[in-house]
Amino acid sequence: MLPEMLLELRPNLDYAAVVVLFCIGLYAVIVKNNLIKKLLGLNIMETAVFAFIVTSGMVEGGAPPVLGPGVMPPLASPLPHALILTGIVVALATTALALALIIRIYLQHGTIEADQLRELD
Amino acid sequence: MKKPLVIALLILLALALLAAMAELPAVGQADAPVHTHVSARYIEQGEAETGAHNLVTAVLLNYRGMDTFGEVLVLFTALCAGFAVLLAAARNGNKHYRQPPAPQESGAVPVIAVSPVVSFVVRLLAPFIALFAAYVILKGHLSPGGGFQGGMILGALFIALTLVLGKQYSARLLPVAWRPWLYALAPAAFLVVGMIGLQLTGYFLGYPQEPAWHGVREAMMVTLEIAIGVGGAVLVASLFLALESD
Amino acid sequence: MSELFDLVLLALLITIALLVVRARDLLVAAIIFSGYGLGLCLLWLHRGAPDVAMAEAAVGAGVTTVLFLVAIGVTGRKEK
Repeated sequence: MLPEMLLELRPNLDYAAVVVLFCIGLYAVIVKNNLIKKLLGLNIMETAVFAFIVTSGMVEGGAPPVLGPGVMPPLASPLPHALILTGIVVALATTALALALIIRIYLQHGTIEADQLRELD
Repeated sequence: MKKPLVIALLILLALALLAAMAELPAVGQADAPVHTHVSARYIEQGEAETGAHNLVTAVLLNYRGMDTFGEVLVLFTALCAGFAVLLAAARNGNKHYRQPPAPQESGAVPVIAVSPVVSFVVRLLAPFIALFAAYVILKGHLSPGGGFQGGMILGALFIALTLVLGKQYSARLLPVAWRPWLYALAPAAFLVVGMIGLQLTGYFLGYPQEPAWHGVREAMMVTLEIAIGVGGAVLVASLFLALESD
Repeated sequence: MSELFDLVLLALLITIALLVVRARDLLVAAIIFSGYGLGLCLLWLHRGAPDVAMAEAAVGAGVTTVLFLVAIGVTGRKEK
């Protein structure tokens, strides 16, 4: 069953890489104890999702979706690009907010290790 | 003890995801559903309908302008939340866990001296980076680029200059009295342009279609790009300053 | 050629992600993460998304890393 599945995945190798990246990020979020490390893992997960969506908008041999002289179809789909563009900026804002919370936690409790924080309350 | 369990679960998750991915149309296949519905229309008619050569900008500002308006509001909210979290900490004065003791006197000398090479190169390149950012913002509807990208470049430039020149220069680069207005610039611009669109076409954020109105349409798009760019730069800069200051 | 580039880039990204997760020193992890952003920027360019690549180069490789570094400066760089 597994080899067949891998064979089917052959044209979707890019998607497989995205899955691996997502799982690496999720691993860091679950296992790592340090809040900043968890946030790095969360960022890796985010970028994996971005990579998935942008990859889905790609066309074989397609040009970027910017029209001009000499640009011939096929063009990559502009919709995923627009979504991810806003997604990247929102990811930056949420990361900054999370870092602000982490700094606040550190100032309040003197640690950002999840298990020590759990013992505190 | 916990680790092997997590890894086993993650492998299961990965297998499930891979099985789902195997069902998707192949990467780059031109007749996949992504390319046959709205995207086909955007590519065929986008230039005529929006006047933007860069279709990503066309989607961002025109077809899905409402989404971008919401996104700008999300950024504004994130900025407010960041300030609320950090400024409350500063006011409570609970700083007993701060690691480096004795913060320097009013930002006179940085703790670690900035290398003269880095300082020189950043100051040398700053005008060119600013020019590039302005180009990216203003030409966003014609070539790759746009408000978000240019704004992020400007914000990164601001961070580099603050790191090199010290914090007392940040007030000169971004005057304190302007800041509250700049935070709200992007949502306000969307509101104003949206209202103009409402007057002209009867739809919020609607753009006039007639060829005679092409200049107005372009002016609306450039206004939004500039507002997003400046707003994005201020967002990055003030989040950096807020994180740094406490 | 293009497919080979793609494969190498994806393998590189996965390796960098593993290094980020494995690094004990948070400072090292944050710096490697900026390299991850740069790799992603190349990937976007390769996928025909220059707009996204531009944003990723400024955000992923620049601003996010600086914000992480600022936070690490407050909380200390060693992961216990």
